[in-house]
Amino acid sequence: MEHSRQDREVLLAALEAGKLLLENGAEIFRVEDTIYRICRHFGLTSASAFVLSNGIFLTSGDEEEKEAQFAKVLLIPVNGANLGRVAAVNQLSRQIEHGDYTLEQVREELKRIQNMPDFPEKLQIAAAGFSGACFSHLFGGGWSDALCTVGIGALLYLYLLKIGKPHFSKIVCNIVGSAWVTFLSILCHRLLPGTHLESMLIGGIVIMVPGVAFTNAIRDMADGDYISGSVRMLDAVLVFFCIAMGVGFMMAIYNSVTGGVLL
Amino acid sequence: MIKLMLQVLTAAAGTVGFSLLFGVPSNYYPYCGLIGSIGWLVYLCLLPASTATVATFCATVIVILLSRWFAVRKRCPATLFLISGIFPLVPGAGIYWAAYYTVSNQLQMALETGYGAVKAAVAIVLGIVFVFELPEKWFHYTSFSLPFHRKG
Repeated sequence: MEHSRQDREVLLAALEAGKLLLENGAEIFRVEDTIYRICRHFGLTSASAFVLSNGIFLTSGDEEEKEAQFAKVLLIPVNGANLGRVAAVNQLSRQIEHGDYTLEQVREELKRIQNMPDFPEKLQIAAAGFSGACFSHLFGGGWSDALCTVGIGALLYLYLLKIGKPHFSKIVCNIVGSAWVTFLSILCHRLLPGTHLESMLIGGIVIMVPGVAFTNAIRDMADGDYISGSVRMLDAVLVFFCIAMGVGFMMAIYNSVTGGVLL
Repeated sequence: MIKLMLQVLTAAAGTVGFSLLFGVPSNYYPYCGLIGSIGWLVYLCLLPASTATVATFCATVIVILLSRWFAVRKRCPATLFLISGIFPLVPGAGIYWAAYYTVSNQLQMALETGYGAVKAAVAIVLGIVFVFELPEKWFHYTSFSLPFHRKG
């Protein structure tokens, strides 16, 4: 009985590690790999994991009943990615393999990773503005465009953090977000002649581009995880479409209000 | 030349900004910046000589080779470097122009730019798929191997 309790603890720790990886934007094979590594290191060979893009199914138990009979399904909502946590769990699983951790320490370490703070919101907003400005320069903008995009990017990220992500569904969040960028860019373009609408706008919408979903989708499909790969690809394509729709929507409104075509 | 330098530096800075948004730990920023700027440099250098699709493909290949190389050196997932590194190559401009031409009723142009964006996306896909197919050994993966270690 004591034996089976120990097994259960191992499985729960492995599940927790898998959950942390999956919700922070790791590939499917990495999640499966980590779960197996933790289980085998602590002597559990009958564990079997099935990982989807938003859920983990983990079971164990062999015919001779030497290992605990265990089954758990964990639904994991898709959130924003935090690659720092992915790196931390990856590091942890390496160290477990080296034998540096007891089960108790693994659990504590996982808890610590779970509670790792995100970067402060102000810093994130500043970074969004800054990288938006960089990208507007890459896409042909001058200094004045870059300066405007600092504001546009920061205001977009403020919207995403405070209004979009907590209150709206993903589709609405992205359509409204890109409409908001378009609105701000048109405003800057009208108020400051000589700025380029397209580079400000592109610098702004790049912040919403679903890089993690897109990259992971491709890697999952290349690994043969077609279900998760197609779900993530659908997610990425949908966001791309929403961005385009938001831009188009706002421009159509502008065109009908002013009666002329932009640029 | 100065313009090119400025572009490359901007790409590095933008990549680092995105790394922060994705929660990459700050000790990896120099590598993220380096990878982003080299990818953009390759893209810019190839663009006059070839098409945007070919340039995107080659730049993606370089970005992912470097990401995997640093991932082995720094013992962390390659994802950390490559997600922000390929950002300059993602066809954000294509999305914008496709939307713009659609709204302004220039369907021919809308199709052309939208198709261009799709082609760039496919180039990125191919780059990622091929480079991740290369054996881990080539990146000098040393002391650490596993029975069920797939790629990565």
